[in-house]
Amino acid sequence: MKASQFLDPVVLARIDNLALLARTVVDGFINGLHRSPYFGLSVDFAEHRQYMPGDDIRRVDWRVFGRTDRFYVKEYEADTNTNFSVLLDISRSMDYGTGKVTKLDYARYLAACLSYFSRQQRDRVGIVTFDSDIVDLVPPSAKHLDIVLHTIDRTKVGTVGTLEAPLLKVAETVSRRSILVLISDLYEEPDTILRAVNRLRHKGNDMIVFQVLDPAEIEFPFTDAAHFEDLETGERIPIVPATLRDQYLKLMGDHQEALSRRLVDNQIDYCQFLTSKPLDYALFQYLSRRERMSRVR
Amino acid sequence: MGISFLAPLFLMGALAVAIPVLIHLSQKTKKEAVRFPSLMFLTRVPYKEVRKQRIRHWLVFLLRSVAILLLTVAFARPLLENSALGVVGIADARENVIMLDQSFSMSYGPRWDRALDAARRVVDGLRPDDRATLILFSDRAEMVEPPGRDLVVLRSVIDQLRPTHRSTRYGPALQLAEQVLRESELPHREAVIITDFQKVGWDEEVSAKLPQGTQLTRVDVSDPDPVNIAVADVSLSRDYVSNREEVTVLARITNQGPEPAAGLQVTLDVDGQRSAERVVDLAANDAVAVRFPPVPLPQRDVRYVIRAGEDAMPVDNAYHLVVSPGAPISVLILQHPSARAEESLYLERALQIGREPRYQVLTKRVNELVPSDLDQTAAVILNDAPYPQRESGRSLRRYVEAGGGLLVVFGQRVGAGTWPVAMNDMLPGSIGDPVDRLAERGGTFSVADYDHPIFELFSTPRSGDFSQTRVFRYHRISQQTSATVLARYDDAGIALAEVRLGQGKVLAWTSDMANSWNDFPLQPVFLPFVHQVVQYLAAYEPVRPSRTVGQLLDLSRDLVTDGVTRTETASSSGELDLVVTAPSGERWVERAGSPDRLLELEEQGYYEFRGLGAGDELLVRIAVNVAAAESDLTTVDAEEFASAITESGGASAAASLVATASPEERERRQGLWWYLLIAVLLVLVAESALANRAGRTKRKTTE
Repeated sequence: MKASQFLDPVVLARIDNLALLARTVVDGFINGLHRSPYFGLSVDFAEHRQYMPGDDIRRVDWRVFGRTDRFYVKEYEADTNTNFSVLLDISRSMDYGTGKVTKLDYARYLAACLSYFSRQQRDRVGIVTFDSDIVDLVPPSAKHLDIVLHTIDRTKVGTVGTLEAPLLKVAETVSRRSILVLISDLYEEPDTILRAVNRLRHKGNDMIVFQVLDPAEIEFPFTDAAHFEDLETGERIPIVPATLRDQYLKLMGDHQEALSRRLVDNQIDYCQFLTSKPLDYALFQYLSRRERMSRVR
Repeated sequence: MGISFLAPLFLMGALAVAIPVLIHLSQKTKKEAVRFPSLMFLTRVPYKEVRKQRIRHWLVFLLRSVAILLLTVAFARPLLENSALGVVGIADARENVIMLDQSFSMSYGPRWDRALDAARRVVDGLRPDDRATLILFSDRAEMVEPPGRDLVVLRSVIDQLRPTHRSTRYGPALQLAEQVLRESELPHREAVIITDFQKVGWDEEVSAKLPQGTQLTRVDVSDPDPVNIAVADVSLSRDYVSNREEVTVLARITNQGPEPAAGLQVTLDVDGQRSAERVVDLAANDAVAVRFPPVPLPQRDVRYVIRAGEDAMPVDNAYHLVVSPGAPISVLILQHPSARAEESLYLERALQIGREPRYQVLTKRVNELVPSDLDQTAAVILNDAPYPQRESGRSLRRYVEAGGGLLVVFGQRVGAGTWPVAMNDMLPGSIGDPVDRLAERGGTFSVADYDHPIFELFSTPRSGDFSQTRVFRYHRISQQTSATVLARYDDAGIALAEVRLGQGKVLAWTSDMANSWNDFPLQPVFLPFVHQVVQYLAAYEPVRPSRTVGQLLDLSRDLVTDGVTRTETASSSGELDLVVTAPSGERWVERAGSPDRLLELEEQGYYEFRGLGAGDELLVRIAVNVAAAESDLTTVDAEEFASAITESGGASAAASLVATASPEERERRQGLWWYLLIAVLLVLVAESALANRAGRTKRKTTE
């Protein structure tokens, strides 16, 4: 089986163990792409690691060198690590999928992969799940990967979702500068989304927004006239897709464009993931962009 | 030109056209709601707009409706009234019956080739609308009707035909032809008979008549002056020289031609080896008997083939036989314990004279009987002797019950009181005191049942006169219900009666056979009478040295009588799976236990029967010959033949039949439903193409 096939969301859906899933996806392109925002301030010794070309020679542990005749670098928790939290939208609209994987499933895989990936980077990982309010909150910690993965694993679909209220609460709880990844389908007006996200960003957090959508939401392939039911509100309206399709596509395109433009203008990373795309592809796309941005900064 | 339907009820199926309408009206409406993450971009659309757009793809809809309508009409079996399409076809159509003689006289010279050529010509002359039936006949007739009236099939059937070894009979073929022609609804009827018009197969009293208006074509394939030498018949006579059996073959050779046959070589082959040769001169249309020198017969079955000359029909130039050694019938005569030396003289002498079959006579006093004496005995005669006592008596009863035969002769030594009461059921009645007819100077007796196997031989006039016998005394018998009286005295007393006991039979003769109470032993009928009685008691069936083609062989019965019982291995052939090898070399298996194990003998030569799984051991061989009468190639007058089998008058029958052709026939000939089905197929192909195209267009717009 090819790796790309294995990383297909449908294939991944068969893996129950999120830790294994995350490792499967992340292993292979794990290269450090971000720097610690709190360089050298912590004194919490973590471990030694072998000296690598490019490391600051001031951090070589000479005593160890004296004993072993090898170069080891002392590492401290805060030296290379940052807080990394996933803000996972579990509202009902995320429970949609025309294939075998729903948007929520995809978002869970993505959250697990990112958490695992960050932990590999020695970040402290945490997670917040929310719908109209915060449902679960795991504060970032170096020892919380298992709890994070377990939380993701037992996440169930919530109720009606909003962004503003729960993200406001998150902004109140985050005390250290963190990398915050918002995973949502972003069914709100761009202004509302920007307002909610900016609150976090303005507190010094590095904000990343992942929008997860099903291909049907982008392509609107429906042909038969039927009642369409809103997953969150349960509201039903009669729809003739043939007449409505163009209008829908235009509105959807405008929404995506507005989101992208507004978020990027505010220096917020924004990336759209389709549930039909392989996870590694999505991650790679994001991380590449992230690296380019970091070089620019 | 009107149109009507054979099955108008099928037109109700036109209602099915509502199906595509419903499909097209309802296919876009779904009752289940489509769940969607958010309706924030979707605007409300009034439902009435949906209805306005329901029927799309009008062409596809029309094609579907047309397909259903055409299918409905096709099932209703339409036919055009007064249509040239139907009438022309039926007016010209002919019902053809081709009668082809397959008897072995057709193998004479090039007759068979001529016959096949004629048959092919007839088939080639048929039109597509004609119907043809081939009747193959010999002494029986069978009909070959090609499926779908396919003339190519009929021609290929003709190509594979071969003449049989059967004889000629016109009756069955004519009856079959009459039946086919009478049942035909076609206006023209034609019969073709391809034969050599052999007189031997012609019965002037034949009841079959070809229907009025039938055009009969005679194809005579006979030759003007045929020459045919044939071995018409063979008889065997057996003799015993120094206890060795010899067989003398007497063959009857016929010359059925206008030319004399001089220096004709007649040969006898025994088991494939030339045994004797004779050269004879035969005048035209003459016959001669050829006697071969006696041939010693070994203790096994031997193949005899008698051949005479060579001619254009070799089938009847050879005669096949299987000669089996003559097995004697063993007869045990039991006398009174105090009997004189020659008290059974007349019986013994009568049985010693027998040749075919021979009799092996053992005479004992009844008190000397031991059970083992009965083991190899075919018949027992209790000649004026009391019933055996103790174990011997019980053995005799068991012997009869198991299928043995017993003749009880009541004379002066035995009578009322001498027969044990326990064995009374072995007699046709209770025996009484003697009746004295001396005062009347004796009475006589006559046969009561000439159909009985014992007296069948004497049934024809001057073939045995029992009335010359004078009977002076006899024992009166009061007949029991299960007994059959076969002969009576002139005073109504019973002379000979029979009773069945188990599988066997007991005959009671109420006067003696010692020329004392009667003079029957001195009468000429005494000897054949005794032979018949013993053969009947022994259930004797003569072994037939040959059979005739066309005879039926009952494998579970005839093979036993044809000698299977003579060998130990073959004794149960009636229960064996038999591998049959025909003279042509064809082999097949006849399974045991099937209710009718009948085999029709089709070929001249030797049929061989082997037990399945018993190796190559031959159980029975049967010789089969063609019927001698078929060798007579004299022909019947063809005109007489034709006038005898056709009904006169009614030449205009064809015209009246046009009008009476049934709607079914006209519909069948027009075959409109067939064209409609093709149209349905084409419409459906077009519909598929259009529907696919519409589907692709829709998908493209969706994408």
